[in-house]
Amino acid sequence: MSSHQPVTIIMIEDDEGHARLIEKNIRRAGVNNPVLHFVEGTAAVEFLFNSPEGPTHNGPALVLLDLNLPDMSGTDILKRMKEETSPLRRTPVVVLTTTDDKMEIERCYDLGANVYITKPVEYESFAQAIRQLGLFISVIQVPEPEIEA
Amino acid sequence: MKNSERRISRFILAAIVGGFLMLLAVGVSFLVVLRQTQVSAEWVAHTQEVAASLAELGAAIERSETARRGYLLSADERFANAFEQLAGEIETRMDAVDARITDNSDQQKRLAELRQLVATHLAYARDTLQNRRRARDDATAKMTFDRDDVDVIRRARAAAAEMLKAEEALLVERRARQFRNVQLSYVVLALSGLVFVALAAGTIWATRRNVHALATAGARLQLLNEDLESAVAERTTELQRANDEIQRFAYIVSHDLRSPLVNVMGFTSELEVATKPLTELIEKAREEAPDLVTEEVRLTIEEDLPEAIGFIRSSTQKMDRLINAILHLSRAGRRVLSPEKLDMNALVAGIADTLQHRLQELDAEIRIEPIPTLVTDRLAIEQIISNLVENSVKYLKPGRPGLIKVRGRQHSGRIIIEVEDNGRGIDPRDHERIFDLFRRSGSQDQPGEGIGLAHVRALAYRLGGTIECDSTLDEGATFRLSMPPELQKA
Repeated sequence: MSSHQPVTIIMIEDDEGHARLIEKNIRRAGVNNPVLHFVEGTAAVEFLFNSPEGPTHNGPALVLLDLNLPDMSGTDILKRMKEETSPLRRTPVVVLTTTDDKMEIERCYDLGANVYITKPVEYESFAQAIRQLGLFISVIQVPEPEIEA
Repeated sequence: MKNSERRISRFILAAIVGGFLMLLAVGVSFLVVLRQTQVSAEWVAHTQEVAASLAELGAAIERSETARRGYLLSADERFANAFEQLAGEIETRMDAVDARITDNSDQQKRLAELRQLVATHLAYARDTLQNRRRARDDATAKMTFDRDDVDVIRRARAAAAEMLKAEEALLVERRARQFRNVQLSYVVLALSGLVFVALAAGTIWATRRNVHALATAGARLQLLNEDLESAVAERTTELQRANDEIQRFAYIVSHDLRSPLVNVMGFTSELEVATKPLTELIEKAREEAPDLVTEEVRLTIEEDLPEAIGFIRSSTQKMDRLINAILHLSRAGRRVLSPEKLDMNALVAGIADTLQHRLQELDAEIRIEPIPTLVTDRLAIEQIISNLVENSVKYLKPGRPGLIKVRGRQHSGRIIIEVEDNGRGIDPRDHERIFDLFRRSGSQDQPGEGIGLAHVRALAYRLGGTIECDSTLDEGATFRLSMPPELQKA
């Protein structure tokens, strides 16, 4: 974790229940970073790129991204973040979705996703996966964003 | 064929048959007329013969008269001999005429009269010859001709002439008949020519009509064929589109259904976790303040809650398995097939090997008979056959040593692969149903979701094959897979 500023976990997840379960299990893993939850792609993109509190202008972040969003596809957000000119191209993105389609996984890694996790339906596995993700989050280094003037 | 068409064909057939019958009738009548002409020609010849015999008779009489006169003048016996000879000839001639006119009573009457006159004349002539012989040296002997004799001769000539005239009249009449017959035969001949021409024209017309109808029908058939082909192609595209739609639908639905399921299962678990402190609380309360814990509260927390959670959990787990099955099927449907040449005997032997352990446990045996080589997708055909064989192993009849046979053969351009067992069998009512998703047959004593055979059928269809079941309850089942020998690449 960065020593200067706590890394904000930005969770883009349209399902409130999933979001709640994810947050619960991350907390159970001992992660205390702030978690910001967005249910819509549009609001999430606005925050990511334009908000003064967002990662582009303020502080490091880690994105938990669901692919099935009501207003846009998660892969579109991923693509925008990982573009050559994007200020967020180094921000880690964890794709966390129900899809385990081979093509979809390949596509996400091609676009620059850092981790791809399929949500297990079985809750035991689900909880375990999220807790392990929490442990992972607690140890990874996240680069400081290039703050634009 | 339409009714009117049938009537017309029947009419044409009748007309042709009628025409040939007419031709036959005309031919027969021509023969009859020809025969008649021949008969009348014979009659004409006959009349001429009669006339000729009459003429010869006349000539003989004249010559006998000449001989008599010679004798009367010279008394030379040679004349007398000639006379007698000619008298005999006259008799013969008259017999000859008689023989030829047996058909004509008028002429016979006349001939009888002539015979009498000639006989009278000959008798008279012999008298005169006798007189001359007696008076050979008597110059005064009577040499004159008797008036009576002259009259006899005149009458005989008249009779002969009359006979000749009658024959001539007959000749005229018979010639006329012959002429009529010849004319009639010409008419019949012309008629038969007309019938022949009409028949030929009719036959040619009917043939041309048939040929034309055939050509029209052929052209229409070709048009229909082309229409059918394009209709089939169109339909195939539509079906393909519908199928793709269903695949996509199945995928999306099963996928989207998983999302809420994660919540149901997740919060059920959370609920379960939450009951733990509640149970502990109840225990503690019972110890410290038993009045607070009513039986109702205790039952709710210790029995109703865990029971509800248990049902929610088992149901959601089942739902998850079903959704996974649909997802699996739709994914199999979208997989790209890669046909290759497969040694089916080796493939089936491989499947049997993986089941060896279970077979020993169950005292069962798999017998593999030769199967023709197939060109198809390895994974798909492997899944089909292993599903079928596994089902056979799964549903053997307890207490009967299991025997599973896998065999193949070629049948009218298809490869038939059969998996036969002597297991518990399938009720005939369920033979179609078992191929539907989530449907099973018989007692539900074996684990399973009713997915295997649905999967088998979907795969068989994708490979261009079909699958059917043949079974009697308690006696075993045979699953028959019919495959094209070579899978066409899409």
